[in-house]
Amino acid sequence: MEYIPLLVLILSFVCLLAIGTPVAWSIVVSATLTLLVSIPALPALTTVSQRIAAGLDSFALLAIPFFVLSGELMNRGGIACRLIAFAKTLVGAMPGGLALINIISAMLMGAIAGSALASASAMGTMLGPEMEKQGYDREFGAAVNITSATTGLVIPPSNILIVYSLASGGASIAALFLAGYIPGILTGLFLMVVASVWARRKGYQTGERSNFREVLRTFVDAVPSLLLLVVVIGGIVAGIFTATEASAIAVLYSLVLGVIYREISLDNLPKIALDASATTAIVMLLIGASMSMSWALSYEHIPQEISEGLLGITDNKILILLLINLILLLVGIFMDMTPAVLIFTPIFLPVVTKLGLDPVHFGIIMILNLCIGLCTPPVGSVLFVGVGIARTSIEKVVRPLLPLFVAMILALFLVTYIPELSLWLPSLFDL
Amino acid sequence: MKAIRHRLDSVLSHALVLLMSAMVLNVLWQVFSRYVLGAPSSFTDELARYLMIWLGVLGAAYVSGRNMHVAIDILPRRAAPALQLRLRQAVNWVILLFCFFGLVIGGSRLVYVTYLLEQYSPALQLPLAYVYLVIPLSGLIIIFYKTDDLLDR
Amino acid sequence: RQASSVRTVRLAHGLDVTHSVHIAMVRMGDDMARISGGRLRLEIYPNQQLGSEREVLELLQIGTLDMTKVSAATLENFAPKTRILGLPYLFRDREAAFSALDGPIGQELLDDGLEFWLKGLGFYDAGFRSFYAMEKPIRDPADLEGMKVRVMESVTAINMIRSMGGAPTPISWGELYTALQQGVVDAAENNPPSFYLARHYEVCKYYSLDEHTFSPDVLIAGTRFWDALTEQEKGWIREAAANSIAYQRELWALAEADALEKVAAAGVEISRPDKQPFAESSREAYQLYEADTTLARLIREIKELQQ
Ligand code: NA
Ligand code: NA
Repeated sequence: MEYIPLLVLILSFVCLLAIGTPVAWSIVVSATLTLLVSIPALPALTTVSQRIAAGLDSFALLAIPFFVLSGELMNRGGIACRLIAFAKTLVGAMPGGLALINIISAMLMGAIAGSALASASAMGTMLGPEMEKQGYDREFGAAVNITSATTGLVIPPSNILIVYSLASGGASIAALFLAGYIPGILTGLFLMVVASVWARRKGYQTGERSNFREVLRTFVDAVPSLLLLVVVIGGIVAGIFTATEASAIAVLYSLVLGVIYREISLDNLPKIALDASATTAIVMLLIGASMSMSWALSYEHIPQEISEGLLGITDNKILILLLINLILLLVGIFMDMTPAVLIFTPIFLPVVTKLGLDPVHFGIIMILNLCIGLCTPPVGSVLFVGVGIARTSIEKVVRPLLPLFVAMILALFLVTYIPELSLWLPSLFDL
Repeated sequence: MKAIRHRLDSVLSHALVLLMSAMVLNVLWQVFSRYVLGAPSSFTDELARYLMIWLGVLGAAYVSGRNMHVAIDILPRRAAPALQLRLRQAVNWVILLFCFFGLVIGGSRLVYVTYLLEQYSPALQLPLAYVYLVIPLSGLIIIFYKTDDLLDR
Repeated sequence: RQASSVRTVRLAHGLDVTHSVHIAMVRMGDDMARISGGRLRLEIYPNQQLGSEREVLELLQIGTLDMTKVSAATLENFAPKTRILGLPYLFRDREAAFSALDGPIGQELLDDGLEFWLKGLGFYDAGFRSFYAMEKPIRDPADLEGMKVRVMESVTAINMIRSMGGAPTPISWGELYTALQQGVVDAAENNPPSFYLARHYEVCKYYSLDEHTFSPDVLIAGTRFWDALTEQEKGWIREAAANSIAYQRELWALAEADALEKVAAAGVEISRPDKQPFAESSREAYQLYEADTTLARLIREIKELQQ
């Protein structure tokens, strides 16, 4: 095994982060230094530039700026507040009501879009300020938003499950989609438990119980806003537009509604667009940088060599699954989901199928696992989005994230060791 | 230098607003042309991705100018003020050097190679060099911002 | 640690490790090591680990990677002559296609990359592409009227569908499954193994083997890498590549038969429409290239070869 590139990568990365270099620059600089070990300077530097561009060269990524933008428009245009007012009359009286609303909305959103980033940006923009107004810690709100956003990657539709199907050499996408429902909802429920316990302990204020008239009034008020969901979901289900295109429709719809409500004037638009662009750019540089990091890792075969070494240790099924989960958690800490799925599926799948695991089951384990990685520093795109939108810092969010990670890991272990949680639904449809 | 910086900020923010609006209109047109006109546009997907690259990379420059990139500053914040200043300068140097070697030199070579080898995009038949041009351009802008930051103290 | 005289050849591609091309590449690696007495070592990066086909071609030009395999459709944006490979009904059948591609015409197409720093080494079989649809079988070009058909990012492919009467909609391969499922597009086209491996047969129950294009996969080395090799090393690689290509073509035939059997078992209605009407309706796609003397000459030569 070649140790020098790995050593360069880790050392430079840690040093850069320690002196306070922004994460994106730390990632891309250490990736560059790693490549310089084994590739001549000019091609290496050119490759880094290409990977940054390649990282952004994806139609699906457009959902990020658009949901950020529509989120901003909903906030300022009076849509979000009407939606939230309605949701508050429903669960506002429960401890951590707003956090629960966030998680439920994220799961709903996940059932519309295949992207956790979109969900994190939309919910973060819409609910974040409201949570703060109600006395929630900004960091706690961000943490709830970040973790719950990932449930949408397991709840179908999910682009990453399609990527997995391709990498696995043909696990059924339909089966994977069905398999994702229960694990995704289970994770959401666990997150809700942790969030409400945390909220109760912190003594976040709970609203008063609402009577039926208030519920009805806020509902009528919220109908045009709720129609947004109908337009978006309906449009996707009817095949009029894709999930990514739906984000652009959401921009148009929230803009029109905001103008009708007379809360947005055309003079405000450039400022709103600029804010959304800046938030997007923060995320995009991180994604581009992560792409060059992933490329360097793949090029040096670092992930494969680490996992092959670890798998040489035992042949006990429970232990190997534990080991694979630990490796994937570790991978997820440093790597983005798509490259991780593409690299590790061909490595782990033969091992687990030999142990008698269903490829569909393993796909759900893998995605659920890497979902945690999306929320951990130093490389976690959903974390970056959530932190960026909440305008807080990564190290402050880590503390409230920890108990939520416990919930996610618990769900992961149940899903790992109880195959029926994934395979029961597909089996109903003979898949 | 401050005057140039303000001017640059303003140019960048106008460019970003323009790019963002173009992206939204482009994708709306994609839906409209396919669903309402029944004649799907063949270029919108590609244009959207290239606008995304421009928005992301040019936006990175804008965000660098305002020091909005996310950092983990646990250690630096506990350091003595003199050391804090030094660390900040060191970070600025790291970014400046990377932008010079990675974005300006590496990016220019990427532009040069794709230009020389006449690489065109599949749908729009747009030279890919134009798409990649944003990388060295942003590199130069960030170098300007960081130089200004370094001279500032 | 081996002596520095061992040269590592880095090959990246976008296919899965169960694909016939990957399996044949593994054989190429074994051959390279054997023929060279261990002085060449092939390192394969599958599954788009190092980038999409277009990006990896760029990395060959940049000099970071040594070899790759791309579909002819990707290559057409780099080497203009290869655009003709996207033309519908250019080849009568597989034998005719390979007798052209393995002869001087194929060599001219491979050499077209040289000017763009890409050295073509040969053609893997990627079969014929045919339509598959969700709602109804495509028995006749008239069935394509008003249908939104997913196409590759290739001018030739866009022109072909348009000339047949369909509405070409470029969508990336990875997003196609959902796009079909949601009805964003009504139909797509590909060879049987891809139709099977991408699981599109779960959504599209009508596969019409109209076999409109024969779009091969091309094995390519970057000239920055190739020109630095000794004549002996070039010989080793050529030999290993030739063996790999011959082996892959055998594997492909099996994979195609297997895929058709599997999708049929999954309830897909496979039809074999008359190709003549499709060929006639897509004539327009040729007209666009007839103004270009080189392309027109190549098309003529290929047609003459098949008389
Ligand atoms: Na989803
Ligand atoms: Na992570």
